[in-house]
Amino acid sequence: MRSLGLLACLAVLVGATGALAQGPRLEAAPGALPAPTIGGPPDAIAPPSVPNEPTTPDLIMDLSRARVSITSAFQGESILLFGMFDPPGEIVVVVAGPPARETVMRKQRFLGIWLNTGRQAFDDVPAYYAIAASQPLQRLLARGAGGEILSLEDRLSSLKPATPRDAAELARFRAGLVEVKRREGLYPAAIGQVTVQAGRLFRVDLPFPSRLPEGVYDIRVYLLREGKIVAAVSRPLPVGKVGFSAQLAGWSAHEGALYGVGAILMALLVGWLGGAVMRRL
Amino acid sequence: MEIYLPIAELSMNVFLLLGLGAAAGLLSGMFGVGGGFLATPLLIFVGIPPAVAVASQANQVVANSISSLQVQWRRGNVDLRMGLVLLAGGMLGSSAGVWLFTYLKRIGQIDFVIAVLYVVMLSTIGLLMMFESLSTYFKRRRNPDGPRGKLHTHYLVHRLPLKLRFYKSKLYISALLPIGLGFIIGILSAILGVGGGFVLVPAMIYLLGMPTAVVIGTSNFQILFVAANVTFLQAATNGTVDVVLALLLILGGVVGAPIGARLAAKLPGVALRALMSLLILLVAAELLTELLRTPSSLYSLGTREVLP
Repeated sequence: MRSLGLLACLAVLVGATGALAQGPRLEAAPGALPAPTIGGPPDAIAPPSVPNEPTTPDLIMDLSRARVSITSAFQGESILLFGMFDPPGEIVVVVAGPPARETVMRKQRFLGIWLNTGRQAFDDVPAYYAIAASQPLQRLLARGAGGEILSLEDRLSSLKPATPRDAAELARFRAGLVEVKRREGLYPAAIGQVTVQAGRLFRVDLPFPSRLPEGVYDIRVYLLREGKIVAAVSRPLPVGKVGFSAQLAGWSAHEGALYGVGAILMALLVGWLGGAVMRRL
Repeated sequence: MEIYLPIAELSMNVFLLLGLGAAAGLLSGMFGVGGGFLATPLLIFVGIPPAVAVASQANQVVANSISSLQVQWRRGNVDLRMGLVLLAGGMLGSSAGVWLFTYLKRIGQIDFVIAVLYVVMLSTIGLLMMFESLSTYFKRRRNPDGPRGKLHTHYLVHRLPLKLRFYKSKLYISALLPIGLGFIIGILSAILGVGGGFVLVPAMIYLLGMPTAVVIGTSNFQILFVAANVTFLQAATNGTVDVVLALLLILGGVVGAPIGARLAAKLPGVALRALMSLLILLVAAELLTELLRTPSSLYSLGTREVLP
């Protein structure tokens, strides 16, 4: 029974590696720093602190889909991340959306009415941020040797405010930012569970909500041994509108005037025809 | 059945939007004014971002007004001269309105201003309609063939400079008044996404003293071009016109409007107006509680800016 299960696992592994060979994967070269080298958005994260080992353990991954396509029927999507590593070790997955400047606004009661009175802009805010791990993260990073792996709190505490303000207020606005992002499902509160099978095959579901900002997302997978990163791979995940939605959004953003004329003509045509037809019925 | 709205950036039920359009069309068929002043707040209630709701609703108003203008024009119910004078003010007002909208959006106060303006406007109109329908009802009961009001009232209108003769409306008044009126309606149209017929029509009757026969057609004429201007400017400057959303509202409205017109012919007008005023007041009350109630979250996000 046990050997049968192992056989099935092996079959899956063979299939997975076969698929991996075709995808544009990025693997740490032996001897080199396993720093991700993808063309994703630049960020200020320092390269991982990896001891200079003669050989880097193997770590490979792939996604069930190469991109998240926002179509006319898009209602959020779950993407499966899977891969294989040289045991022993634990796996941590970090998904970060493209960084942008976000303005947080705070309401206050003024003459009985609630209105926005405070605002604070932050630079380099990830549109999306999710972490998954095969063990509780605190235990994995207990010795503070996680290097570039940052919990959401750590990632956000490094955010640069666009305008200076006292620390207590900034902390409040930062908490507000997390609250709004959580509500929209963009900063999942729970650490995702990476499941490891047969000691070397891992998988995790990455949930993406329906209100997903577009851009190139950065997915990084780390292999940890005794709290230290020993291997890392990364992969860009493009998120974008496709088909009719993409066309319309593109026109609206880049050819606003033309789009406006088109919208008016559409309304005139449908209004005229519709009115004429319905009056005859 | 859900559909993704590419500019609003969320998915929404198709039938909900068609139904909203139909309800707005029904109202416009019944009362001869566009249903925009109810449709926009309802769109905001169901979760469409206010900026997108307003701009897309302006697009819907274009379709609505061409549809009724078709009939009015054929019947010769459009005072072209008056329409053009109103339009001059309307174009200025709507352009200023879109600029104001963009500014308010940038400083993060647009949602608040939209809500406050709606509360003020809907409660005023709702109360006026309620009193009017109630007083008509009681007067008619007391005196079925009661005296009609004067056709023209003479106020300040007749003392302003720049007088123009409007043959079709049988008026000789200062052009400043319709220009000013058009200007105000234009601002309302740009910020609230409404045609403004529900303000314009009474103002044309009571303020300008126009004969009722040409009021609807002439207001439709002005609204068509002002709504087109708002649609164009919103699309060009803010990129907030969602044509998918607008098309669904228009299709619903196309079906709803004739049904409303037929219903209005069968049902007693006073009762209808009383019902309508109640509906308007309900929406106003809901918007007001939203403003007064402690929000579930004090924080919200402005627009994301991807820095180069």
